Formats: sequence, structure tokens, C-alpha cells
Amino acid sequence: MIPLKYNVRNLRVRWVNTLLTVIGTGAIVWSSCILFGLVEGLQHSLNVSGDPLDLIVMRKGSTSETNSGIELTKAEKIPTLSGVMRDDKGRPLAALELLNIPIVERLDGSRANLIVRGVDPVSSELRPNFQIVKDGGRMFEPGKGECIVSKNLTKRFKGAALGSELKVGEREKYRVVGVFSSGGSAAESEVWVDRKDLEQNIAREGITSSVQVRAASQADFESLRKTIENDTQFKLAAIPEVQYFAEQSKSSIFLKVAGTVIAILLTIGAMFAAANTMYAAVRSRTREIGTLRALGFSRTDVLMSFMGESVLLCSLGGIAGLLATLPLSAITYGTSNFNTFAEITIQFRFGPIVMLVAFLMTVAMGVFGGLFPAMRAVRMDVVTALREV
Amino acid sequence: MGKPHSIVLQNVNKEYRRDEFVIPVLSDLDLVVDEGEYLALMGPSGSGKTTLLNLIAGLDRATSGAVIVHGQDLGTMSEGQVTRWRADNVGFIFQLYNLIPVLTAFENVELPLLLTHLSKKHRRENVMTALRAVGLDGREDHYPRQLSGGQEQRVAIARAVVTDPYLLVADEPTGDLDRKSAEEILSLLQQLNTEFGKTIVMVTHDPQAAQRASRILHLDKGKLVRDEQQISFPVGVAS
Repeated sequence: MIPLKYNVRNLRVRWVNTLLTVIGTGAIVWSSCILFGLVEGLQHSLNVSGDPLDLIVMRKGSTSETNSGIELTKAEKIPTLSGVMRDDKGRPLAALELLNIPIVERLDGSRANLIVRGVDPVSSELRPNFQIVKDGGRMFEPGKGECIVSKNLTKRFKGAALGSELKVGEREKYRVVGVFSSGGSAAESEVWVDRKDLEQNIAREGITSSVQVRAASQADFESLRKTIENDTQFKLAAIPEVQYFAEQSKSSIFLKVAGTVIAILLTIGAMFAAANTMYAAVRSRTREIGTLRALGFSRTDVLMSFMGESVLLCSLGGIAGLLATLPLSAITYGTSNFNTFAEITIQFRFGPIVMLVAFLMTVAMGVFGGLFPAMRAVRMDVVTALREV
Repeated sequence: MGKPHSIVLQNVNKEYRRDEFVIPVLSDLDLVVDEGEYLALMGPSGSGKTTLLNLIAGLDRATSGAVIVHGQDLGTMSEGQVTRWRADNVGFIFQLYNLIPVLTAFENVELPLLLTHLSKKHRRENVMTALRAVGLDGREDHYPRQLSGGQEQRVAIARAVVTDPYLLVADEPTGDLDRKSAEEILSLLQQLNTEFGKTIVMVTHDPQAAQRASRILHLDKGKLVRDEQQISFPVGVAS
């Protein structure tokens, strides 16, 4: 076998070509990784949001909380049902929640729909790892026009920073008294206020959007679901939260398909870049190839050597592209939820999908970019190659 | 009893095709070279001497006729078998040295040994022995660009002999060297022939270089026109 150092040193000697190819392939891997990192972030956000014992109660026929409305008289009975889990203080873990999606101005001056959620005191216990962040103020107090804002939103919307006044819609405004996080769940795209405050502000007294309920056990989960769906006093939809968020995450399928198509096209482009570099390498080393073949290295040895060099070259690009995505873990990206049309924030997530994408792109670029130049090297006639000056 | 034959060519023809033209390069060539002979091939450009060298070294195939080297009829072997055979039996010395520029002298000499099953330790021993034989111990970590032309050719000779091949082929080995370096290289080749009994076939334009050989073959237009035996030359003993 032709030693690998032969290829490594050749890449080093032709460092300008190598660097340009690494930058090119790296940029392509980088851009694709960003896309898939955001898809992974979106999926993660929706995956962690669903608890297997939680039900989301909505009006029958509603596809999301935003187009659901339940009379308060019905909704207020749900926390009293048997089988509802209770917290340390003995409170039933069932929260009536009211949603409003006003248009809010972003820091850059553009406008977007934002979810303002009117919540009950136990709502925070129904979200994963809900907490007011360090130095992030405190929980709002009802009746004072206060709100808490997800950490992701503080740097995206005007007036969303701690201590500021957040103007939502035409009439509503809240003072931001706290900043929260919630384990990367969907709540991190929301502003939370007291439900009764919101009811008054948007004049929707007597109605709520949904009820979030946690069952005490799996058996209670089933019986609660049946009661809420079939009992004549309710006749509501009780959707398992896991299923609800799985439905919501279908919007990420479009991103995934689009991302895959873009990544494939970019990879093909990068293959040409790699092939170009490798063709130049084969051309400039014709006599070396002839010498190696004369010394007794087989066609397979030469093929493997040049293919290896191509894969190595693209791996450098792949690694560079992948590493360049690491700082992005700190940033969030806003997009529209296709079901609610509200802005959702997605945290870039450096996970298995991103690494798989980078790996597949790198291998494809290296193998297919290197194949034809390596074939040219293999097909060379030894005598003719040795004559090359 | 005579020496065993090292190289036997029987009625060898070689022609190339360029579009619809057939260009004959070697015609009806018969040749016998004994083991331990040092053969110089001379002739004007286009006389077919390098083609003949390539046929003997297993780099090219005859259009017709038999090329038998060290008992092997090269025409009957597959390409893979000839490649393997070259690695085992032939050491190459080129006019432009053909060292790999990104590898050190040591690594260049080690290349043919990577095709053997020798351990790293044994490879190292063999490489150092070969470099010592050509007077380049201490230069093993130098890259070709850090060596003079004569030194580069010595590295190439070390690479050619490191596997202890049966046959050495040299194509204008002194063609790119000054007279002093050329003399040193020729002395080294002569030493390999006389002391180690290597059969050597060398293509050269230089009559002084050819005088170092034990036999000079003159080719013209693809035919053998003169065969000179250098009587005074101390022919090496095959090992």
C-alpha cells in the first residue's frame, strides 16, 4: 500500500489548492449543518415538550390551541376530576390556559406573531425544567400587568428585556419582571402572563383556549381521557401531549425535505470542486504515478491512494465546516409555526443529525469527487507516465 | 559450462499504432544476456533502445515474440502478475531519478519494501544498508530537494537495490548529471555488477558510460546492428 504520508504531504505541499478546497467544502458542510441543526433543534423542542402523562384538552375539531375555545364553566371542572395528579401543595396539576397571538415588533423593526399565554399558577409545573433564570427577576404577580418572557425572546423583541415594557398588539402592555427557560421546550417561544389579566385585556372573559392536565398514572391517563372525551358534560378533545407535539412537528418535515434537497445539490457542487483539485493533483503527479507503478504498486494501490487523498481532503473541509457550526449552539433562530403562524424560536442543536449530515456529505464529496481523477491515474500507461517531464 | 541465461529475447517485434499508422520500433530481435552481465544499449534517438529496456523490465509488452527474464516468459503473465514480478525482480534507475519529492531519502528507498512482508524493523535495517552502500548514510532524513543531482541518483540506486532484485535496469542514469557525479554513479553501478553480481541493462548515449559495461549493443531503426563484448571488463559472478 502506498503510505498515507505520501498523500498528507502532497496536500500540504499544494497548500493553496488544499486550502481553497477545504474552505469550499467546509462552507458547504457548514451551511447544510446549520439547516439540519435547526431542524434538529425544532424537533428537540417539540419532543421535550410532550410528557407521556399529560393531556391537552381542547374544543373538538381544533387542530391547535390557537383555534380552540372552551367555556370556563366546563374547563373549571377538569381540575376537580379524579385521576388528576397533585403537586406537593396538594394542588391539582391541571391548568387553564388562554392564548393570544398579537403582532409584536422585533428588535430589527420587523413584526411577527408572538404567543402570549395566560397561565394558572400550576402551569409552570406542567412544563419541563421550568425555571426563572439566574438573575432573571421573578414570577409575575396577578393583577399587576406583569409578564415573564422566555430567555430566547428577550433578544428578539422590542421591550422583551427584563425591566422593560412589552407592547403587544394595540392596547396590551406588560412589564417584564422575569425571564424563564424551560428545557428547550415549546414554552421557550412564549410570553407568560396571568390568565385572568389576559382575559380582561383581550376581552375574552368566560372562555379559555385549553386545559393542560397531568394524570396521576397511566391508568388514570386513559380514564381521564375517556371521561373528558365522552362524558356529556364535557364532550371535549383530550389529546395526549406527546401526540399533539408530534403533529406540530410535522412542519419540520418540509424543512427536512428542503434541507436534504439543498444539501444534495450543494454536495454535488462540492464534488466538482474536489474532483477539480484531484484532477490537478493527478496531472501534476503523472511521473510519480508511473514510478510507483514501475516499482510494483498495483492499479488498486494507486486507486486507493488517490481516493484516500480525496476523502482526506474533503474530511478536512467536513471537520472545518462542522467545527464552524459549534458557536451557533449559542444562537436562536425565529421561524413561523405552520399551525399557529406564531413565531417560534429554535435553538441550533449540534446533535446526531448534524454529525450524520456532515459525515455523509464528506464521504460523498471525497469518494465521488476523487473517483474519476483516481480512475484517470489508474488507467495511465506506465511507459507514457514515466515519459512525463 | 557457460553461465545461465538471464534474459532471452526470441524474434521480438514491437510496434505502436498512431491512428491508422503502424510504427515499427523493434524488428525480429533475438538476444541472449547471461547472468551477471552488464549490458549497455546504445543507438541514435528512436532506435528502440528504451523500448527494448521497457520490454526486458516488464513495463511494456512485445507485439510478437518471447521475452524471457530469469526463466519467466513475461508475455504469458497477466498484468497483475507482471506488476508483482517487477516488484520482486527488477530495480529501476531513471534519468531524472524519479524520487517522490514529498518523501525523504529514507522513505523513498523504503517504498519497494512496502510491497514485501518485512517488519518495520527489518525494513529500516535494509534501507540503512542500501543507503550506506551508496554512501548516503546520514542523509536519510533529507528530502530530494535538499540533495544534489548525484545524491538524488544515489538514493534512486539505493531504492533500486534495496529489495535485492535479480535485474537492474537504468535508463540514461547519468544523462542529467555533471561529469564528476556521472563517474561516481557509473562506478557505483560497476561495483553492483562486479561485487554483487547484479545483471544490469543500461540505456545510454554516452560512449564513456557504455565503456563501463561488459557488453555494448548498438541498435538502429529497431534492429541490432553491433554486439561488442568488452574483453577487458571484469564480469561479475552471479550470486
